[in-house]
Amino acid sequence: MASSDVVQYRSPARRVLEVLTVLFLAVYLIWTMLPIFVMFVSSFKDLLEAFKLPRVGDWSGIGVFFDFNPTFQHYIDLFDDNNFSTYLMNSIIASLGSALISVVFGSMAAYSLSRIEFRGKKDLFFWIISTRMAPVVAVMVPLYAIFRGAGLVGTLPGLILAYTTFNLPFAIWILKGFFDNVPYAIEEAAMCDGCNRFQAFQSILPLVAPGIGAFLVLCVLFAWNDFLFASIIGSGGAKTLPVATKELVQPQNIQWGKIMAAGVVTTLPMMFLGLLIRRYLVTGLTMGAVRE
Amino acid sequence: MASVSIKNVWKLYGKTEAVRDLNLECRDGEFLCVLGPSGCGKSSTLRMLAGLEHISAGDIHFGDVRVNDLPPKDRDIAMVFENYALYPHKSVYDNIANSLRLRGMDKAAIDQKVKKAAGMLEIEALMDRRPGELSGGQKQRTAIGRAIVREPALFLFDEPIAHLDAKLRAHMRGELKLMQRELGTTMIYVTHDQLEALSMADRIAVMHEGVLQQFGTPDEIYRHPVNEWVGGFIGEPPMNFLDCELAEENGRMLLRHPNFTGELTTGQAALIKDKAQNGAVRLGVRPDEISIKAASVDGAAKGRVLVTEPLGGDMLVDVTLGDTKILVKTKPDYKADMGDDCYLTFDTERWHVFAGDTGLAYF
Repeated sequence: MASSDVVQYRSPARRVLEVLTVLFLAVYLIWTMLPIFVMFVSSFKDLLEAFKLPRVGDWSGIGVFFDFNPTFQHYIDLFDDNNFSTYLMNSIIASLGSALISVVFGSMAAYSLSRIEFRGKKDLFFWIISTRMAPVVAVMVPLYAIFRGAGLVGTLPGLILAYTTFNLPFAIWILKGFFDNVPYAIEEAAMCDGCNRFQAFQSILPLVAPGIGAFLVLCVLFAWNDFLFASIIGSGGAKTLPVATKELVQPQNIQWGKIMAAGVVTTLPMMFLGLLIRRYLVTGLTMGAVRE
Repeated sequence: MASVSIKNVWKLYGKTEAVRDLNLECRDGEFLCVLGPSGCGKSSTLRMLAGLEHISAGDIHFGDVRVNDLPPKDRDIAMVFENYALYPHKSVYDNIANSLRLRGMDKAAIDQKVKKAAGMLEIEALMDRRPGELSGGQKQRTAIGRAIVREPALFLFDEPIAHLDAKLRAHMRGELKLMQRELGTTMIYVTHDQLEALSMADRIAVMHEGVLQQFGTPDEIYRHPVNEWVGGFIGEPPMNFLDCELAEENGRMLLRHPNFTGELTTGQAALIKDKAQNGAVRLGVRPDEISIKAASVDGAAKGRVLVTEPLGGDMLVDVTLGDTKILVKTKPDYKADMGDDCYLTFDTERWHVFAGDTGLAYF
């Protein structure tokens, strides 16, 4: 096997490049981490402390950021006064529900598309992904009309259905690649062992598990972070965290402390999820790309 | 136990004819090899037997049961695949036990059967490993274990030892044959290696370009190939072919080649007389049915030595006879340099004559 190290030769240009790389990464790190840091710290400050800023150019004043009495009041208010436990639950149910449905049906559809030849297969496959080509906003109005007619607006099942509509085609498209990579012979062996087709499908599921797991997370992320569907389809009865957070911005009173706390509540679970399945995510998503 | 009969079976992939009008009968308990080069339709045949491939036309019966429309799980077969096709995420034990679990057998019985199969294949020590941690030979044993533990009516083996190294392959040939004899289960074994077929099979079906060429015992196929293609395919090193003219002179049948003239035996002459008129034929002689001498012998064909290839106990000599290159198998005490003249005599009892146009054997 070839070494995966990149061969590098020392030269002045490369030195400069190395310095520039480090510099760029440092700036990039600050750029991405600072807002999260500010959000996290501010959620524990009361409003006055949150707006205490050092003067411009006063680098020693940076300590001002850390000079505060930690308070959990914003979190307590969120869950006591603003019903955030309900919204958190809604978010979890909507995102997990749609992710599970998408992956279950997606893997079965992807398996069929991967294994069985039939007329019009390519067209069908293209049609499936083409449903994702229109921007969500474009289909929002008709979708709303349909959902209202079906009495799904403002309900969790409605929201789950809406997310599934958008996750499922993507799931089929991606998961097909994973199934294409599994040799036919394993299922054939399973069928000779006494499996029917569905059992044979189940017998190769462990082989695509990393891919399915990674995709499950992507589906959860899509639904968790979604604002548009949640605010229109889910409005009222199925309010999720992003929508609830937005409602903390009121014309006469922007509740910064609560907004920051809500931001933390929304971000943390996904961050932990990301850390938890980081390795899976990389192997899973690159698995389909390389044929054996 | 089951006998297998394949009647007028065709396999078409679009317009490609992979198997053409195949007829085969395999007796109960027989070891049948389907032999042919890659792309000859042997694997398609096996896959149709397994139920993994749709039968385009014709019928396959196991015993009295027509199996065309039965899924693999209902055919009572066990298959070993060329690339083993083990479940990568399961241990050796679970791989072997899988089919029994699917049948809902109880745990103790499964354990007993798996251990027995493992003992037979000498893989008891590997039971907890996954296929990724096994060598090729061990994988292959596991795959065979998975097949035999089911005690099926029919074994289907698709080049199971093709990917092993030469030494292990030679060892496995004997083991597989012994295993089949002990179990007494009907076996259909697909291979491209004529040595495997000759050494293991009770009968061999030789296929070429989707057509069954010859079906018979290894001895029949080796000694009496039905056509030039089978003659050339079976045997290592392969049979030599020479373009000759068949001529009748004073009641004797003669083979004329620019370098020699050979006479057919009376038996051979009788076989050929009614079928072939004077004209072009192909003479087929195996390398070990030619004797080579440095000194001139009466009636011998004069050739020129190209190279000698000592093989330890034997030696191959490349000889040009006119513009044809042929191989002669002799003993290493024959000494010759490149360009030396040599004199070849053929074993006339065992040579073969094929029709020049159709390639069909006269004898």
